[in-house]
Amino acid sequence: MLLHHIPGLLSQPQQEWVAIRDEQTTVQGLYTGYILIVAAIPPICALLGTTLFGWRIGAGEPVKLTLDSAFQMGIAFYVAILAATFSIGLLINWMSQTYGGEKPLHICLALAAYTATPLFLVGVMQLYPTLWLNFVVGLPALAYTVYLLYTGVPVMMDIPAERGFLFATSILAVGLVTLVGLLAITAALWGIGVGPRFTS
Amino acid sequence: MNTETYNYRIVRQFAIMTIVWGIVGMLVGVLLAAQLAWPALNFDIPWLTFGRLRPLHTNAVIFGFGGSALFATSYYVVQRTCHVRLFAEKLASATFWGWQLVIVSAALTLPFGITTTKEYAELEWPIDILITLVWVAYAVVFFGTLVKRRIKHIYVANWFYGGFILTVALLHVFNSAALPVSFLKSYSAYAGVQDAMVQWWYGHNAVGFFLTAGFLGIMYYFIPKQANRPVYSYRLSVVHFWALIFTYIWAGPHHLHYTALPDWAQSLGMVFSLVLLAPSWGGMINGIMTLSGAWEKLRTDPILKFLIVSVSFYGMSTFEGPMMAIKTVNALSHYTDWTIGHVHSGALGWVGLISIGATYYLIPRLFGREMYSTKLIETHFWIATIGIVLYITAMWISGVMQGLMWRAVNTDGTLTYSFVESVQAMHPYYVIRWLGGLLYLGGMLIMAYNVARTVVAGRPVEAPIPAVAH
Repeated sequence: MLLHHIPGLLSQPQQEWVAIRDEQTTVQGLYTGYILIVAAIPPICALLGTTLFGWRIGAGEPVKLTLDSAFQMGIAFYVAILAATFSIGLLINWMSQTYGGEKPLHICLALAAYTATPLFLVGVMQLYPTLWLNFVVGLPALAYTVYLLYTGVPVMMDIPAERGFLFATSILAVGLVTLVGLLAITAALWGIGVGPRFTS
Repeated sequence: MNTETYNYRIVRQFAIMTIVWGIVGMLVGVLLAAQLAWPALNFDIPWLTFGRLRPLHTNAVIFGFGGSALFATSYYVVQRTCHVRLFAEKLASATFWGWQLVIVSAALTLPFGITTTKEYAELEWPIDILITLVWVAYAVVFFGTLVKRRIKHIYVANWFYGGFILTVALLHVFNSAALPVSFLKSYSAYAGVQDAMVQWWYGHNAVGFFLTAGFLGIMYYFIPKQANRPVYSYRLSVVHFWALIFTYIWAGPHHLHYTALPDWAQSLGMVFSLVLLAPSWGGMINGIMTLSGAWEKLRTDPILKFLIVSVSFYGMSTFEGPMMAIKTVNALSHYTDWTIGHVHSGALGWVGLISIGATYYLIPRLFGREMYSTKLIETHFWIATIGIVLYITAMWISGVMQGLMWRAVNTDGTLTYSFVESVQAMHPYYVIRWLGGLLYLGGMLIMAYNVARTVVAGRPVEAPIPAVAH
């Protein structure tokens, strides 16, 4: 279990990144010890939130999903998070050739996974799925994620801070592009009828 | 000894007006954002209403702010890369005063509801004629300078500027063709869906050439200069130019998905929009790779930060655009705030930041003094970046939500939500968007202060033209 890094990442990221870098771990170890666990927080909370309490988007009654539909969406959500974490790890690995400090995959994956920690944790908010509230709470989490990224890259990649700024900006751009891609895929799937089913 | 100098006067004039029109246009934008969140802010005064002020905002930021940045940088770049003084300097001066007159006329007519109703081409026919005259003068000055150049090679930035000047002339003349019925009222020369098609052929290429090709000219000059390294791949930059101009011109119909426009034309627009991703990303990679070699300068140079984040936003929004041009995605995103978010990630992120970066580069060289405060440039950078992030994330969420609410139907086929329910649901995001815009405007005010202190302490530079090397 690697969950003991969480308090450190939230309170003293600089030192924690050093500890993470110097740790002996593997891709499998990262998944079983960290990613599979924390990445489950948002889908499980979303499953409970959407079936028990329902989405509140501004006015009107909360919208609930059927358990079946919520379960399928939850699985898809979980798989998407795991895949996205892995592909960002791969991309960091690939880009490290350009920005110097070529690192093995598990280091790059650790950078991707631990950076996303605030986003995983704030997934708890999905228990109470009120869109604007999730957004307002999610923004600081997102900001802290970006902060972790900029502090983590120089340490994990063993490169000077200025070079790290460029590398981190590229990772951020990749992250944004992935986000927009997911948004477009969701919109297209919803458009052709693959979407959630609501309890009426 | 060569005592001939460059014409920096015209560059100084346009550089200062870039900041002035930026502040005016963004102030109107912030007011509009506030009105969307709190509608009572139009005070029931007709000329303060959203419909009247919105075109004023777009005209002031695109043509006032963006246009001035393009004039300033193109006049600077064409002289510096050709090693000659500007051609037809009186005419160049006329383009400055003429262009200011265009923006002032916009500010005087639009709030009174004098408009052609064509998006980004709202100005009535007498102003359109003035624009045409100024633009022809601009072309004469720019290409005249190229003709009398002392450097044989035409640097790639000038290709982008030249492409932008020629295409915008073509777009403006064809789209603004109209039959005047009085001094301030005209009707479009085209009817029905042809009018819509001409309008969006113009509209999308206003983005593609005014807001992209011209600013790529800025990228290809100011990024290598500030990074103090050559362009990563010059060959790629030339491929980028030709691929971009051949593709962009066809992408307009994606603004008219699911309308009366023939389906094949919509599909054509969608396919060309998708193809456009390739040249756009070729350009982005070229910019990023040029900058990545200058990493050791980042500690002391916040201007580089503006440039790199701007190119990142260029990459992001040129990926988002093709995605939104896909018909099934467009079915959800069209007419929602997602579009507004997309436009602003391009406008604030790409166009805004690269113009600001180029202006920070120019001011010390034009006024012979270091910027008053590097710290304030750094502050400006962070405030602006946070503002953009707030703006676009708020618009993503509210846009997707809007789209989903509008299309939600009950099992009996009735609509789940009334329109006003979707409006009500937007409120928190409109507040956040307003905050994002306010931060971006705040950054511009910091810039204005920093530039004012620099200009007051400095004095106009007369830069000598280097003697020909061979």
